[in-house]
Amino acid sequence: MMSGKAIYKTFKGGIHPPYHKELASGKAIRRAPVPTEAFIPLQQHIGAPNEPLVKPGDRVELGQKIGSSEAFVSAPVHASVAGTVKEIAEITGFTGAKVKCVVIAPDTEQPEFAKQDRDITALSEQEIRDIAREAGLVGMGGAAFPTHVKLTPPKDKPVDTVIINACECEPFLTCDHRLMLERPRDLVQGLKLLMRAVNAKKGIIGIEANKMDAVDAVREAAKGEADVEVDILEVKYPEGAEKMLIFALTGRKVPPGKLPSEVGCLVQNVGTAMALYEAAAWGKPLYERVLTVTGPGIKEPSNLLARVGTPISTLIEACGGFAGEPGKVIMGGPMTGWAQPDTKAPVVKGTSGIVVLTSEVMDVSAEQECVRCGKCVDVCPMFLLPNFVVQAVKRAEWDKAEMWGALDCFECGCCSFTCPAYIPHVEYVRKAKAEIAALKRR
Amino acid sequence: MKVAERMLVTVSPHLHKKDETIQRAMKDVLVALIPAAVWALVVFGFNVVYILAVSCATAALSEVVMRKIMRRKPTLSDYSAMVTAVLFAFLLPPTTPLWVVAIGAFLAVGVGKEIFGGLGKNIFNPAIFARVLLWYSPLAIYTTKYVKPFFWKTSGFFTPVATSINEGAVGRVVYKTLAGNPVADLTSAATPLSLLKSGRWLPEMVSGPTPVGATWLNSGGKPSFWSLFLGLKSGCIGEVCILALILGGAYLLWRRTIDWRIPAGIIGVFFLLTLVTWYHPIYNLFSGGLFLGSFFMATDWVTSPVTRRGKWIFAAGIGATVFILRFWSLRPEGVAIAIFLWNIATLVIDRYIAVPKFGEVGAKAFNRLPVIPEPAPEPAKKRA
Repeated sequence: MMSGKAIYKTFKGGIHPPYHKELASGKAIRRAPVPTEAFIPLQQHIGAPNEPLVKPGDRVELGQKIGSSEAFVSAPVHASVAGTVKEIAEITGFTGAKVKCVVIAPDTEQPEFAKQDRDITALSEQEIRDIAREAGLVGMGGAAFPTHVKLTPPKDKPVDTVIINACECEPFLTCDHRLMLERPRDLVQGLKLLMRAVNAKKGIIGIEANKMDAVDAVREAAKGEADVEVDILEVKYPEGAEKMLIFALTGRKVPPGKLPSEVGCLVQNVGTAMALYEAAAWGKPLYERVLTVTGPGIKEPSNLLARVGTPISTLIEACGGFAGEPGKVIMGGPMTGWAQPDTKAPVVKGTSGIVVLTSEVMDVSAEQECVRCGKCVDVCPMFLLPNFVVQAVKRAEWDKAEMWGALDCFECGCCSFTCPAYIPHVEYVRKAKAEIAALKRR
Repeated sequence: MKVAERMLVTVSPHLHKKDETIQRAMKDVLVALIPAAVWALVVFGFNVVYILAVSCATAALSEVVMRKIMRRKPTLSDYSAMVTAVLFAFLLPPTTPLWVVAIGAFLAVGVGKEIFGGLGKNIFNPAIFARVLLWYSPLAIYTTKYVKPFFWKTSGFFTPVATSINEGAVGRVVYKTLAGNPVADLTSAATPLSLLKSGRWLPEMVSGPTPVGATWLNSGGKPSFWSLFLGLKSGCIGEVCILALILGGAYLLWRRTIDWRIPAGIIGVFFLLTLVTWYHPIYNLFSGGLFLGSFFMATDWVTSPVTRRGKWIFAAGIGATVFILRFWSLRPEGVAIAIFLWNIATLVIDRYIAVPKFGEVGAKAFNRLPVIPEPAPEPAKKRA
C-alpha cells in the first residue's frame, strides 16, 4: 500500500473501545510476591468438578496435584506454593459464586521450580494430550475450557489449522503482548506442539496491528517454520473472539451453536500455547500465569507472573496499591471481566488481568428505555438483535429471546458499550440463557 | 488494605462509548436543523420564530404534564420533546395560527409519544402523527394554505401573520395580523407540487400567467432549478431549502446519528420511479418534503426498523409510497402519509424479516418462533 492506513484482516461489526494499552505494555513481566495464604479453587475450568487429593494438615510441594476428577471434561489443579494445607474451605470466587478452595499456608522459603529438559520433538498426539491434561491446562483467555478436550476433535472433523489467538483485543490488558515480546520462541514451539497434537498442517498466529513489535518478534522466531504464519489483524473488539478470529484469518464461518472443529480449526490463546510448551519441555504444571494489573486506579500498572490462588489484594499491593479511590475492580478485561465487590477473590488459571477503574473513567448512567436506535444490531459481531432479546426477557417471552439470538450470544458486550440508553444487554442475555436452559431440561 | 466501600459491581462490559447518549443524538438533530431554521427565517420572516416558540413550549408542557399524570419519570432533559416540537413546526405552513400549532404540538408529544408509552414505545413519529391527524381533522384547512416566499415584505418582518378562514364568506381565506387586521395583498400561493398536481403536466401549467403571481417563478412562468433547490418557493417552514436540509443531513450522517440507508433508499427509489415514468424527476425530487422526511423523519430511531435489511425495505417502501401518492392521489404531497404508513409496517418488518446469524447457512427469509421447551425438531422433517 502506498499511503494511508493499511487494511488488515477483520470481521464485520464490532467496536473501537479506548484501549489504554500504553499503561502496561512497556512493563517487563516480573514475579508477583508469594501470598500469605493461597486460595486454590478446586474447579477452575468448565466441566466436571475436581475432588481434593489433600486434607488439612498435609504438606504439599510446589506443583503437586491437589485436585482432580475422573471425568474427561475436567482439568486437575496443582499447588502453586510449597507449604501446608490449612483447610478446605468455601470462599466467594470471582464470579460471586461460592467455590471450594484448598487453602495453603506457604513456607517462608519458596523453592524454584525444578525445570526438566525434555525432548519435545518426538511426542505423539496422545502424549501431548496427556501432558496437557496432567498439567491442568485450560484456555487462559478467560473461558477456561480444558485444553486436552479441545485437542481431541471428533474423528469425522479433522483439524487442518491451528490458530493462536494473540489479538488481546480486550482494552488495558497487555500480558499476551509481553509474553510474545519476551518469549516468542516458546510461543512458536507451543504452536508446533498444538499442531502436532491434532495433526494440523498449518499454524497461524493472529496479532492485532497495535502490537507491531510483537509481530516482528514472533515473525523472527518463526523464521524457518514453513507451516507457521504470522498474520496482522485490524485493531477492533472483539477480534479475539473465537468465531470472529477464525473468520478474519481463514474466511471460514463457524455455524451457530457449533465448535471451531466444524470448519477444521482449533484456536488457542497465547498463554495456553506457552503453558503447553512449559508442560511438555519443562514438566511444569499450570500453577502460575502472567496477568496484567492495570487501569487508571493502579499506581504502577504491571505485568505479573502470579501464582494461582493469590488474592487480588496481594497483586494490587505489589503494583503500588490503588491510585485514588477505586471505583470498580475487574477480574479479566473491562469488556468481559467480572466486577469484584472486594479484593479477596483469588487468581485462577483463566485470569488474564485485574483492571481497576476510577469513578472518573466509569460511565454508569442508569438504564433507560430502549429507543430502538439499532446501534447494538449494527455492532453485534454475531448479527443478533440484542435489543429484542432484552425486550423478550423483560416480558419473559423465552421463545422470542431464543429467536432473537440469546443462545448464540458470546457476551462480548459491544451492544452495551454502544447503547445510548445504557441497557446492560449481557445481564439480560445471561438471564435468558439460564431460563431457556432450565425450560429445555424439563 | 483499605478497600473502598463504594466499589461497584455490575455485569460486563465495564466501558461505555464516550458521548453516546440519547441526549447527544437529540442535540445532534437540533443542531442539524439550524440551517433549515435560519433559512426559514429569511424566507418566511419572524413568524417562524413565533410558531417554533409555541410548538416547543407546548411540547415541553405536554410532556411534563402527561408524564406526571402517568407517573413516569421526567425525561425533558433528553431533548426528544424539543426535536419533535421543531420537526412538527417544520411541517406547518408559515402562517399556521398559533392555537393550531399548540394543539398540534400537544397531539405530537402528549398523544403521539406519551400515550403510547413515551420515547421508545411510540409507534409513529410523533411529529408526523400530529401532522397527519391535523390533516384529517376540521383544522386541516388551517394547515394547507401556503403563502408565497418573502410575504413578510408586505406585512413586516416581525408582524405575526396567521391564516384566517371563512372571513366574510364560507371557505374564504385571508391572512391577518395578531391584532386582527387583514394583511393587504397577501393571498395563498401554490407550492411547487400543487402547481404540478393542478396542471398535471408542468410545461402547460407554467406557460401563461401563474394563478398566484408567485415570485419564485421566472419570467417564463417556470420555477427555476435554483429556486427549488435553494428554497425560494412556497411550502412548509422546514421543507423549502433542500441545500440546508442536505447540510443538516450530512452532519447527522457524519455524527452517525442516522443511518445512511434510509435517506439513500427513500430518495433513490423515489427518483428511480420518477425517472422510469418520466414524471418530472428533478422537479419532483426537490419539491415538497422529500428531503426533510428522508433525513429527519424517516430516520427517527424509534419508528424505523433496527436491522439493515429492514431499513432498506422500509426506505424503499417509503420512496415507492411517496411516488404513488404524488402520482395518483388527489393530494399534491405524500411524504408524511408515506412515513406514517411505514411506521406501522416497521413493527412487522422487525418481527418477521429474518437476519441470518453469523455463519448461519440456509437461513430462512422470515423469523419463526422456536419451540420451547420441546426438543428441537429433527432436521430430516423439513417442511416443503
